[in-house]
Amino acid sequence: MPAETHMEQDPLGRESILQLIKDRLGEILEIDPNIVNEGDSFADDLDADSLALIELVEAIEEELAERSVDFRIDDEDLEDLKSVRDAVDYVFSRLN
Amino acid sequence: MAEKPLPVAIDAMGGDYAPEQVIQGARSALEFGIPVVLFGTEEALADIDDLETIFVSEVIEMDEDPGQAVRRKKDSSLVRAAEHVRDGHASAMISAGNTGATMASALLRMGRLKGVSRPAIATPIPTLEGDHPVILLDSGANAECQAEWLLQFAEMGAVYARDRFNVQKPKIGLLSIGEEAGKGNSLIKESFEILNSGNWEAKSQSEFIGNVEGRDLMSGVVDVVVTDGFTGNVALKTLEGTAKAIVSALLAAFTSSEEAKKGSELLAPSLLPLYQKLDPDSVGGAVLLGVKGIAMVSHGSSSANAILNAIKTANELFQDNHVENLQSVLLP
Repeated sequence: MPAETHMEQDPLGRESILQLIKDRLGEILEIDPNIVNEGDSFADDLDADSLALIELVEAIEEELAERSVDFRIDDEDLEDLKSVRDAVDYVFSRLN
Repeated sequence: MAEKPLPVAIDAMGGDYAPEQVIQGARSALEFGIPVVLFGTEEALADIDDLETIFVSEVIEMDEDPGQAVRRKKDSSLVRAAEHVRDGHASAMISAGNTGATMASALLRMGRLKGVSRPAIATPIPTLEGDHPVILLDSGANAECQAEWLLQFAEMGAVYARDRFNVQKPKIGLLSIGEEAGKGNSLIKESFEILNSGNWEAKSQSEFIGNVEGRDLMSGVVDVVVTDGFTGNVALKTLEGTAKAIVSALLAAFTSSEEAKKGSELLAPSLLPLYQKLDPDSVGGAVLLGVKGIAMVSHGSSSANAILNAIKTANELFQDNHVENLQSVLLP
């Protein structure tokens, strides 16, 4: 297997997904990713509006596509993602 | 050989009078020397042979949820126009359609500038005094805002006033319910403290003059008025509604009697330049500030003339490296 086409990636465990979401939220909301907690509500704690959440969803999809993981978050499920934990659980369950 | 100028990408499907008025405005722009590319359905653009066209299969309607529509309708005129800018094939995008979806398309496809929490819509308000309109932002992108965002709006407004209207040191006012410091709701009081700290003015080469009131929107005492998107939109629509009501009342009065008709004919030469100065179609539409590209948001009722002016404005902002100028001020 040629190394250059099969770069070793971190396994997409729950911790990796949490870190990915924190990093992307940091970029989108212009905040320090380290202040994002798993229990934070998108709306109440992070002031993330619906468009920011769609930015997050698209960023996660793009990141996973780069890791050759075919992944799409269903629009119908978006409304159920109220907190960082909801998003981590959702992505983790869809990948496993 | 000179490089071929990039066209302005236009959503031909957006607006109350689309596609006819949009096409006409685009055609005028081409005659003016600005290349354009129209995005629309084959049905809408089939007969166009003098303008560059790109066919799409979907249209985002006025009442659709912006974020969801942009995610679902990837082959819509709005999304494709935004992608054309992102990919470096167009200098700017323009739509007179769904404002929220225009913002969502620009934000999700072009991305945000670094240092920008939320993009804002900047609308030029015609003024009686002064030689340029006042810029109102945010005029509707963010209903809920934080004080730090209003600081970013002030910085973006300053760069925009300089690039668009050549105001070297823009005067910035914070919209409130009184001029004195300490007037306003909690957001405005907190924003005042941040804006009044003075740490940001040198970088954006601007001057914060304190609170202003609604009546100052058209007075020309400031170059930029900063507020949250809810208040800004209410203020903007109030101005538009008031102006429309006054014009209707004047027209009714001018035609109410033979004497009034004669009088209005005498006044017409003086009133026409005033009308032209205050005509929103002449100022070229609003712009979404804070994204990595130029995105113009034209009024839903845009005429061909309004579209033409929006195209001219977009082209000028691109020539002036407006996005790069914004980024250099907003970088932390």
